[in-house]
Amino acid sequence: MVQFTLPANSKVVEGCIYQNKDQNILLKKLKIYRWDPEKQENPRLDTYEIDQKKCGPMVLDALIKIKDEIDTTLTFRRSCREGVCGSCAMNIDGINTLACIKPMNEIKNEIKVYPLPHMKVVKDLVPDLSEAYKQLESIKPWIEKDPETRNDKVHLKKRERKQTPENRAKLDGKWECILCFCCTTSCPSYWWNGDKYLGPAVLLQASRWINDTRDSRRKERLKEIDDSFKLYRCHSIMNCTQSCPKGLNPAKEIAEIKKAIVTEK
Amino acid sequence: MNDNRPLSPHLSIHKKILTAVFSIFHRLTGFGLSIGSIFIAGWIAMISLGPNYFIIFQSISSFFVFKIFLFIWTLGIFFHLFNGIRYLYWSFGIGMELKTINNSGYLVILLTILSTIIVWMTV
Repeated sequence: MVQFTLPANSKVVEGCIYQNKDQNILLKKLKIYRWDPEKQENPRLDTYEIDQKKCGPMVLDALIKIKDEIDTTLTFRRSCREGVCGSCAMNIDGINTLACIKPMNEIKNEIKVYPLPHMKVVKDLVPDLSEAYKQLESIKPWIEKDPETRNDKVHLKKRERKQTPENRAKLDGKWECILCFCCTTSCPSYWWNGDKYLGPAVLLQASRWINDTRDSRRKERLKEIDDSFKLYRCHSIMNCTQSCPKGLNPAKEIAEIKKAIVTEK
Repeated sequence: MNDNRPLSPHLSIHKKILTAVFSIFHRLTGFGLSIGSIFIAGWIAMISLGPNYFIIFQSISSFFVFKIFLFIWTLGIFFHLFNGIRYLYWSFGIGMELKTINNSGYLVILLTILSTIIVWMTV
């Protein structure tokens, strides 16, 4: 359902300000979304002032510094700190990206940090991704073989499924996805129809398995996804492509799925 | 699970990206054009109803607000046309690279303005 405004319990209020009164510092202000499940309060926007001279270059460095030195209750996901795990996906300065590879210097004024948009918040910057993971499971992100070939004794002897370099190249631009859901949560169509529309990240994964030549269910996969809500809520808004921190192009891959459905019928 | 979980802010905090703005304007112009076409049809139909109605047609046509409406209508029709062609290309997966999506957007704006000016200079 389209609802442009936030529900009453989700409206963000002004929060605390943690000032930095040290001399001779390179001041950077961060405004961070906070919500504590143990308090019956609305989310708030806390302001933290840090010294950029004593902090690493990325937004994640600032978040870790704040958690270490100013406010230990600040909660966020992080792991690899180099853009390969997708844990620290959040909305920074209005665009979904990974905090670990977003330099603070790219943002001129104060840095506003929110959780991924239009998601249920578990705590602070941690969104609940369980629905998105269920949608990923629904497209069967694994190789499926025909039952005949699976039970084929000859086939069982030759278990290795080889792929030519040309066929492998068909997966380029798809396998690199780290499932951070930056794209899915930037999509207005997903905001309004997230319960039925699969969203760019899951559709990109669908395309990754549709185009895998070792899989024998291409036709069925295309048929399963040919649904006015699952696939066709994509209206080429292109927010996904412009927020992908790995530089992938989900919108284009979705267009290719639509094309394959029409041309291979 | 805690049912009291808030919904994270979306429309109000997300940057307005050019392609997204184009998308919503494509819908708005589509809606506006379909409603407006009923009125335009009525306006033109007055001519066929005979001399008595022609006076009404003329008085509406000379009305300044109507001219503004018609000008916006022209802008809308050309925007919807050129942006629609852009989307047609996208349906074939052409021109969807990050570099081209914004440039084709600017091209749509340019063509829309040029075409509108040409139409209004010739009538």
